Amino acid sequence: MAAKLNEFYKQAAQEFGLAGRIKLAMLTKISSEKAEAAEDTPENLRIFEQAMQQLRAGGG
Amino acid sequence: MKISTKLILFFCGVVTLFVLLAVALLAQTRTVSAGYDALLGQQVRQAEAARVIQVSFKKQVQEWKDILLRGHTPDDLTKYTRQFHEQESSVLSGAEALAADMRDAECRDLLNQFVAAHRTLSEKYQAAYDVYVGGNFDFKAADRMVRGKDRPPTDLFDRVVRRLNDDVAASVAAQASAVARARNLALALSGSLLAGLGLAGFVTVRTILQRLGRLKAVSDRLAKADIEGLSVDISGPDEIGQFGDSMKGVHAAIEELTRLASAAGQA
Repeated sequence: MAAKLNEFYKQAAQEFGLAGRIKLAMLTKISSEKAEAAEDTPENLRIFEQAMQQLRAGGG
Repeated sequence: MKISTKLILFFCGVVTLFVLLAVALLAQTRTVSAGYDALLGQQVRQAEAARVIQVSFKKQVQEWKDILLRGHTPDDLTKYTRQFHEQESSVLSGAEALAADMRDAECRDLLNQFVAAHRTLSEKYQAAYDVYVGGNFDFKAADRMVRGKDRPPTDLFDRVVRRLNDDVAASVAAQASAVARARNLALALSGSLLAGLGLAGFVTVRTILQRLGRLKAVSDRLAKADIEGLSVDISGPDEIGQFGDSMKGVHAAIEELTRLASAAGQA
């Protein structure tokens, strides 16, 4: 359903490991399990992009 | 609205209410004071002046009797004649001044009648005095000329005093009634405002406590990692809503951790 949101989780894992996935879940308030069921809405995409930026800015 | 803002607004509301109540009480006190000042400055003063004139008139009549009783002695005649005229002059000037100052038309009319009656009585007293002195101090002849003549002016002035006293009593009653009305209004207004403020405070505190209770329940489940079916539906622009939003992040992180741990276990 939410291919792009899942993609964010994969990117987080690649760049920052398991801790990155957990931090992404914390920042977006949407776990990967829920992200799979969620829609790739513009709002969700914006939240995940911002979270990724925060992760990158903080070095994971 | 933030809880801190609500508390500040509530505090400001209480302070404002009490300031308004203090101002209202001050204004009410001033109104009552002004009412009684007006009463004392006009009606009570006039009633007191009337009472003094009434007493002076009685003294004048008494001085006349002293003239008849003791006037055969030259010193006493001089003394009581002087005192008689002093009282006579005091009564007349006092009644004229009171009539000029009087707002009540009926009372003013009574005073004018009294002044006229008093002038007539003075002429009769003078004629009787002349008979008394010229007739070898024949007090019986002099007394016959004025006997009972002081009754009509006395009755007139008694009516003036009674009317003024009634006016004072009526004004005091009206003032007391106005004070009671103002007091009841102040009590009703302050009671309503305090009740409204108390109700608003109660509803605010109850809402905050209910939301804190829901937040605590979520926090307790997260502390036990009991996230199965957990939904963090605490939102809002206040501090509790912000805390609930943070809890959603923690919830999501625990979910993610649980999923990763589960996946690692299966691998």
